[in-house]
Amino acid sequence: MAFRGFGGFATSGLIAAAILWSFATTDVELSRLMSAGPRIADFLGRMFPPDPTVMAEIKKGSAETLRIAILGTLGAVILSVPLGILASETMVSPAVFRSIRTLLAFIRAIPLILVAMLMVGAVGLGPLPGIIAVAFHATGMLAKFYAEAIDGVSRAPIAALESAGAGALVRLRYAIWPQMAPVVARDTIFRFELNLRESLILGIVGAGGIGFYIQTYVRSFQYDKAASVTIAVVVMVIAIEAINVALRRRFT
Amino acid sequence: MSTAVEVDDLRFAHTGADLPALERVSFRVSAGESVALLGPSGAGKTTLLALLDGRLQGWSGRVSVLGAPLDPDLPPPSARRSDTGFVFQEFALVERSTVLRNVLNGRLGRMSPLRALMGSSTKHDLEIARTVLADCGISDLAERRVDSLSGGQRQRVAIARCLAQEPRLILADEPVSNLDPARAGEILALLAGAAQARGATALFSSHQPDLARRFAQRIIGMRAGRIAFDVPTSELNDDATAELYREVEPIPGIGLRAVS
Ligand SMILES: Nc1ncnc2c1ncn2[C@@H]1O[C@H](COP(=O)(O)OP(=O)(O)O)[C@@H](O)[C@H]1O
Ligand SMILES: [Mg+2]
Repeated sequence: MAFRGFGGFATSGLIAAAILWSFATTDVELSRLMSAGPRIADFLGRMFPPDPTVMAEIKKGSAETLRIAILGTLGAVILSVPLGILASETMVSPAVFRSIRTLLAFIRAIPLILVAMLMVGAVGLGPLPGIIAVAFHATGMLAKFYAEAIDGVSRAPIAALESAGAGALVRLRYAIWPQMAPVVARDTIFRFELNLRESLILGIVGAGGIGFYIQTYVRSFQYDKAASVTIAVVVMVIAIEAINVALRRRFT
Repeated sequence: MSTAVEVDDLRFAHTGADLPALERVSFRVSAGESVALLGPSGAGKTTLLALLDGRLQGWSGRVSVLGAPLDPDLPPPSARRSDTGFVFQEFALVERSTVLRNVLNGRLGRMSPLRALMGSSTKHDLEIARTVLADCGISDLAERRVDSLSGGQRQRVAIARCLAQEPRLILADEPVSNLDPARAGEILALLAGAAQARGATALFSSHQPDLARRFAQRIIGMRAGRIAFDVPTSELNDDATAELYREVEPIPGIGLRAVS
């Protein structure tokens, strides 16, 4: 108890120190924050009313975002099948699944937007770097999910197929896969939803999709158009969530 | 008569277990014989059958199955596994697959891995599946998913899968202990009959003396990892049976009633 009390005290102290440090070392001039009030109001004013003439751009951008999410998810599935098997405790030796799991943890740790920036540098502007970035980033999670799905199945039918003389891959196909298929479907749809949501902003770094228009309109001071696109993004996120809730109901 | 199973001075301990599961086990089963392993829970029946099925390594002694020695440290090759069929206590079926798919799974060790992975069953495989489904009385269930079946139906599917392997030795681990008594007799009769009709050797375990008596020509009694007796069914004596179950009171109703 005393230790916990000390722990709580130390934590509070640490948080206070972090806040003080941030204030002391950042150029936050309170006077600037005060005078920013009218400027922010002006900025918001220029966003209103949102310009509805950008409907065509919104459609084009959303379609491209959807394509990035679909192809990115496809790429992640293709990568996650072999990596998921190699990350499974029940399919390979500890040395193999431990190193693959570490690799996947590293992949998960790199933010999507960072991968996208690197990919734009590597292959140029457009949806292609977005697709590659989504596929790479999503694999970190999806391969882990697939490995857990493999490890979560009932062992008895696998032993039965082993007894019948079936090799490891044949057992995967006929004893493990039928059991894990619904889990894989659910996980893949979940990851697709995340991919769609995360790829909305990829255009900001030039990796294709609807985010491109937000960036373009903000840079050219067309805030009313930027507002329309932002509203479209919000609507899409809500729609994705609603569809996901409906799908989840089907898979549980 | 040729020998189907020969075990000599077999010893085995599960990893992490304090006591050996099998100790100084020796016996012989002739081809075509039907033998029951009788013993209380924990006697080592499952361990012995899994070992004969080539699924346990790290034992000592000599074991030969269908005329060829098993390697104490290596699982047998695919073809030899197919020659030995196994019926599991808990059915071990793929619940979300159909009955026919589960039965065809018994053929997987008989085909090349590539063909198995491509999912192309030959006419011959389908013919065998149809025959064993009919033999097990479940032709009309072929397209049903296993998770919609009763326990008795499930064990019929598991027996059909085992027969689809065209095994020369059938090992069955308490194949009816999860079924009600009426089903139990029916399913054991099916298993014993199918083995006999194919000229296959049958070795099944049971903790119920009455069932062992009804379906085996010979009974091997096991207790605490050792063989307590090995007698023709006609010579099975009630005292020896009672001795098997001595001091195993926490599990009520196991056989004791049947012999007292
Ligand atoms: N996987 C295992 N790990 C450790 N001990 C085991 C394992 N399986 C069985 N045992 C032990 O081995 C002994 C024999 O078990 P088992 O072969 O299942 O007996 P039976 O089938 O006759 O009930 C028991 O003491 C049991 O506790
Ligand atoms: Mg057992």
